[in-house]
Amino acid sequence: MKYFFTIIMLMTSFAAMAQNGKATTVKKTFNRTTTISQVINADPSIVWALLTNGADFSRWNSTIVSIEGDIQKGEKIKLKSTLDPSRTFKLKVKEMVPDQTLIWGDAMGKRTYTLEKSDSGTLFKMEEKIGGFMFPLFANKIPSFDESFEQFTADLKKEAETIAKSN
Amino acid sequence: MDAKAFTSEFEKVKPQLKSYILRMTASIQDTEDIVQDTWIKASSNLASFKGESSLKTWIFSIASNLAIDNLRRKKRWPENVTDICKEAAKNDMSHFQEAMKIIETSEYAKFEIKEHIAFCFLCIAKSLPLEQHLCLLLKEIHDFKVKELAQILQTTEALIKYHLYSARQKMIEVFDGRCALINKEGMCHQCSEINGIFNPKQNLQEELVKIKMTKEAGKADKERLLDLRMEVLKEINPYTSGAHELQLHHLEHNRRVMEEYLEKND
Repeated sequence: MKYFFTIIMLMTSFAAMAQNGKATTVKKTFNRTTTISQVINADPSIVWALLTNGADFSRWNSTIVSIEGDIQKGEKIKLKSTLDPSRTFKLKVKEMVPDQTLIWGDAMGKRTYTLEKSDSGTLFKMEEKIGGFMFPLFANKIPSFDESFEQFTADLKKEAETIAKSN
Repeated sequence: MDAKAFTSEFEKVKPQLKSYILRMTASIQDTEDIVQDTWIKASSNLASFKGESSLKTWIFSIASNLAIDNLRRKKRWPENVTDICKEAAKNDMSHFQEAMKIIETSEYAKFEIKEHIAFCFLCIAKSLPLEQHLCLLLKEIHDFKVKELAQILQTTEALIKYHLYSARQKMIEVFDGRCALINKEGMCHQCSEINGIFNPKQNLQEELVKIKMTKEAGKADKERLLDLRMEVLKEINPYTSGAHELQLHHLEHNRRVMEEYLEKND
């Protein structure tokens, strides 16, 4: 019985840790995956609207310089990130399930946003997987996404919760 | 509700409705059509009005959907609409001559700065995404509640809050970056320039201190300044204001210029 409670407590604390807005990166030979999750006290529709209005992104998100194009399934967007403002990422919107899933990416990587409705609002998850056969050759040249992921998530949480509280 | 009672109620909300649709479409003709179609649609579907919302909300809901149908296929205006239209006006002598003729002949051409503040807002708000534009006008100018907006747009209150918040932030950003009335660094002085052309006898400084927004410009925060700007709009009905004939003439000009501009830059 004692072990049972210990396991439950450990599971609970792991779950809480996983939703604390801290990014984690798992590196493998041919790919790298960065993930983060956070509880946002706002309806998923607000979070979804923020994530799918490209023109408005740079107003609230300090990690994005600009997004050009419509964030619609099958459309191409041009994204400039503060990680490398001189570079424009040409990405295709691959999947869109309103208020649930958004995926964009290119040949090298895939960014997945997942929203789950929860009692307190939304459980937001973001994952970016980059890789391929050539990945080991340039893996060291790609900066860590952790800090940028954490800032992105913090900005999203702040903006969505401000909107949710507005009258 | 019988047809007679409905007609009476419709006539009561019609001035507000026309003002709202004009500010959505920026077109006198489209406004006439949409208001007329709203009347036809509402009066022929009167039996479907169950009183779940107020009659005013129901009428505005029908009108909003007609306006959305009208505007969905049209491009939004750029943020610098007033710069583009000013340049076009400078090169269009007939527009200027017509304006001067209105000033000389109409009793509804008494230009005041506040008229241009409302006019400027109307044009720049057309750069907002459609839903944001609609929510901003209905909530801030026509006093609808978030819950009523959700009924009108048939969406959630959460999403209405998103549209409203985003619209406000965008308008704050645009005016803060442009408007010399609230920001000394602002590069747009159009209202002062126009005052000199269309009402040279009016003392600009005297007029400016009468406007709360300019009076509080140095000390109030940006949110408050936007609220004060929208208060100016609330006081002005674009169909009955002291300079409405002049302003509607300018509006028709800007709409034509924008249609040509958007077609050319497609």
